[in-house]
Amino acid sequence: MTAIDESAVRPDLTAAHRQAWDSLGTPGTWWNGHQRVELAATAVAALTVDEPLPPWTAPSTVDGVLPANPAAPLIAHDAMYRIATHAGTITEPWFERVSGELGDLAYVELVAIACTVAAVTTFRGAAGLPRWELPEPADGEPSRVVPPDLVPAGLNWVRVTSPADAIAAVVQAFTSVPAENERLWTLAAAQYIPNTEMVDPHWTRGSLSRPQMELVAARISQLRECFY
Amino acid sequence: MLSWSCRQSETEVNLGAIAAGRGDPGLPLGADLVRFASAAASVRGDRAEMTAAREALINSGGKAVMIDAAAVAANFHMMTRLADGTGARYPATRLEEMAPVIDEMGASEMSSRRSG
Repeated sequence: MTAIDESAVRPDLTAAHRQAWDSLGTPGTWWNGHQRVELAATAVAALTVDEPLPPWTAPSTVDGVLPANPAAPLIAHDAMYRIATHAGTITEPWFERVSGELGDLAYVELVAIACTVAAVTTFRGAAGLPRWELPEPADGEPSRVVPPDLVPAGLNWVRVTSPADAIAAVVQAFTSVPAENERLWTLAAAQYIPNTEMVDPHWTRGSLSRPQMELVAARISQLRECFY
Repeated sequence: MLSWSCRQSETEVNLGAIAAGRGDPGLPLGADLVRFASAAASVRGDRAEMTAAREALINSGGKAVMIDAAAVAANFHMMTRLADGTGARYPATRLEEMAPVIDEMGASEMSSRRSG
């Protein structure tokens, strides 16, 4: 069997993953560092458990799945578990209920935490590298910075910065929480294609061609039952 | 994006083979990439199959190809959660244009389908 170690990974990819992973332990925009690490731990557990709970069972109703006396509300952990394991089953009424309790911008940051955990955990597992331990949480309060120009979107459930729907739904999805939006696109540039190269069908890092990259993307999206 | 990139680069691809997870997708390393992506679609999944798929891709394409395929897989674990978590949808006009690809990929009945 071929040995894989850290030296096989592009430095820009390791840097993007490390920066995103370490950010899980720092105060965010709506969640503090302790809550972010705790929610990330729920995502890791949901992603890696042998037999995940079905989408209709909230982990807060099952003994031993969530930490005792969590720093984040139970509904946030329930939402994190659902997004990590069964994102394709999420409905608009479910989103309305959860974001109504947490606040819609805190909900966006929660989705972003799930995205970071899923990206790094999947990469390490697929490449045959050991999982990273979650960072130690740093003290401090979330910034609670609200962009001044938030508007409802036609192409997302969540609010976005104005003008809505001038760009693709996935591109505008996290604009209400700029720190997470920036992290997401830094990850996307290292994992997939830099934004400036997206329109070039011949762009390559010298390994996979663009159609080969899209083949992997299509198969993952299909098996994850993501229509988008 | 797959059909677009193939059209733009004048590359023919067999979407049915990708959707089925077997057969020849018509791209270099295609069968090994489909196998690798299929194994990487779940972090829990079959670890023995993940190991075998990784080894097959390294043997056919090299370590850099495997690492970049794992990175793309990671990206779409990320983007699928972003899309489904935030209710991302296409405008109705775009869905009409995409209809043949949606059917060929077996995506028309997905519960995550939303139209704008």
